[in-house]
Amino acid sequence: MTPDNSDRPGTSRKSAQNIDFSMVLASAVHDMKNSLGMLLNSLDDLRREQNETIPESSKFNTLQYEAERLHNDLVQLLGIYRLGENNLSAHIEEHFVPDFLSEHMARHTPLLEGLDIEFELEAEDINGFFDADLLTGVLNNTLNNALRYTRKKIKLKATERDGYLVIAVEDDGDGYPENMQHSGTPDFKTLDFKSGSTSLGLFFASSVASLHTKGEKTGSIRLHNGGNLGGGIFEIWLP
Amino acid sequence: MNDSSATSTSTNFAKLSYLIIDDFESFRLSMREMLQSFGAERIESYTKASPAIQFCAYNHVDIVLCDFNLGEGKNGQHILEELRHKKLLKRSSIFLMITAETSKQMVMGAREYQPDAYLTKPINRAMLKKRLDSLVSQRAALLPINREIDRENYPEAISLCHKYLPMQPRYKTWLMKTLADLYYQLGDFSHALKIYEDVLNQRDLSWASLGRGRVLVATGNYEEAAGALDSLVEKHPDYMEAYDLLAEALEKGGKSVQAQKILEKASELSPNALLRQIQLASLAASNQDLSTASQAWKKTVSLGTHSIHDSSEHYLALGQSLSDLSEGDTSSDGHASADEALATLRRMERRFPDEENIKVCSRVVQSRVHAGQGNPIEANKALESVADQLSDAETIDPGLGIDYAKTLFRLNRDQEAKALLGTLSQRCADNPLLLQKIENLLDEPVGFQQKLKARALNRDGIKVFETNNLDDAIKTFNEALSIVPDHAALNLNLCQVLIKKYQNSDDNALLKQAQNHLDRLDNLPEQHRQYRRLVSLRKKLQGMMA
Repeated sequence: MTPDNSDRPGTSRKSAQNIDFSMVLASAVHDMKNSLGMLLNSLDDLRREQNETIPESSKFNTLQYEAERLHNDLVQLLGIYRLGENNLSAHIEEHFVPDFLSEHMARHTPLLEGLDIEFELEAEDINGFFDADLLTGVLNNTLNNALRYTRKKIKLKATERDGYLVIAVEDDGDGYPENMQHSGTPDFKTLDFKSGSTSLGLFFASSVASLHTKGEKTGSIRLHNGGNLGGGIFEIWLP
Repeated sequence: MNDSSATSTSTNFAKLSYLIIDDFESFRLSMREMLQSFGAERIESYTKASPAIQFCAYNHVDIVLCDFNLGEGKNGQHILEELRHKKLLKRSSIFLMITAETSKQMVMGAREYQPDAYLTKPINRAMLKKRLDSLVSQRAALLPINREIDRENYPEAISLCHKYLPMQPRYKTWLMKTLADLYYQLGDFSHALKIYEDVLNQRDLSWASLGRGRVLVATGNYEEAAGALDSLVEKHPDYMEAYDLLAEALEKGGKSVQAQKILEKASELSPNALLRQIQLASLAASNQDLSTASQAWKKTVSLGTHSIHDSSEHYLALGQSLSDLSEGDTSSDGHASADEALATLRRMERRFPDEENIKVCSRVVQSRVHAGQGNPIEANKALESVADQLSDAETIDPGLGIDYAKTLFRLNRDQEAKALLGTLSQRCADNPLLLQKIENLLDEPVGFQQKLKARALNRDGIKVFETNNLDDAIKTFNEALSIVPDHAALNLNLCQVLIKKYQNSDDNALLKQAQNHLDRLDNLPEQHRQYRRLVSLRKKLQGMMA
């Protein structure tokens, strides 16, 4: 638990004269991420301890939501850093999809309950091939995003289509704006840092998707609107 | 897929016992509260490694929840290694490593022991419950197989794996991995290979590529293994086990320099694996790369501080390595290495005071270090302090004896050294490894740099000889022999060249010279690899001189 330096990326290349700025950033991000992890744990504890007053407190929910969001961003930043260092690869294993998704959902339970958002998991009994850590990063971010835009309901859905495992996050909000509805990989250069929404999460998601390959097939993400809930639908297609 | 309901049948948390290890009180408390909220009753928690390990020695624990980073001292990986190594945890128990990390392998540097699962922070109650639920039900479902593995009844474990495969799609990967591994353990490499290849035909999975590589190494297909592992590492630059196996394949295939490069890369990426550092150190030493070897021993010693793998041998090896490095080097770098060697050896004496021979092993190397820095008085003093333990060549530990002989050579006490090695080679007649060491020392009783020079000259001489340039060959071998006059192969090489030149020139003086070089080897022990060559050359020369 002590803020550690044993696991910082790239410590072996430290040199006072020749500062590798992205390495410095990565180290700092790493520390911030760990601190936020502590913060999030404390928030969970607090919610439990103060369960008379907190569950209805919108301020508390905002606090937890924003902390989650920050944490996800930092996880993604580190992931992208490792991608750039050619240090991140997908360790694909076979997983039982309903187990993976329900374990995954558990993390979001307190906040979902706090925000009074209905949640549904609809997964076929199938095995899928993916890197569980990387996919967790993607789904955390997507669910977090859905929490922000949905009205009452979020659905996590897993199906098998055309030889792909398709994991979808659907909500009943207003859906993705026209210019975001596309499939394929957003280019890192096209990320717009002025608009407030950098699509960093989407960039990370599509990077992770494309690390998943089988023969000629490569994973991808798709964004569109509609579905049973009528809001936005995020899909990650894994071969 | 018919048993998705299995995880929803709730675990009876009250039946199990728990151990929490974390240095933060708030975290311990919050974990305890979560566990209690599932009905857990028997929960123990500790801040530090030692009392936690102690607790496991006397109590049965079903589930260990251990934070990786515990501040100063042992970390979670050290605890895991110690618990498993000392068999303080049953196979049916579950060890969960809690980290803030997503890139686990690299951080932990784990090589032998891996936790049953990682939990990535932040952790909340629902998450923990789900995770424990599925781990406990997996454990229960696979218990019959694990029990047979514990009993080392591998054939039965194999048939259970086959039986479970169609029934338990949820654990398919575990079953396939275990099955292939069991075949491998039994030496049934063709079955193991078939499983890996079947998996790989479906999909390119890194664990199956690694397994296939392991089988290829075990069956002696080093080149194919190295090729496959090379591309695995290329695809997964964070797959530490693949680097280790690649290095093994390269080394066994005779490419020890490349093997060392791979291990260096792996240690750079994941610097905390003690066993890998040992491997690197030994490999670098055999590659004559003393500075890399010294660095790796240094790292081994420092990683040993909290590890179950700590050993006086690492200190001694570091001392020896630094001693070789500093020998005859009186520059400030040389001094620094010498000082470090002495400090390391003194530390070894303090850290392992009760080990047999610890002091005498230490002083023999210390003496050599002093000699290498031109301090014969200090060198002799170091030996005198343990003289009584070095006096009997018949009973001295052979490894220590060889090291002692090395020191004697350095102190110009060649006759004593040779006598000692003579006795030792008789005592070790059935130990090829030690015999080889004795031979090498007899051949090259000189410092490291000179040894390298003589070897280079020997290689040059052979090259020149192959181009039939006999005079240059004679000159080069003579130059090498001026450094290591008793080197068996060198003397024989030169003898061979002289005979060949005689055949072209009929100059009797050449035969006489050749005879001189054979005479130098009069005391060559029969066990020596060059002995038969000596005998045959002797005969040939007698025939020519008759």
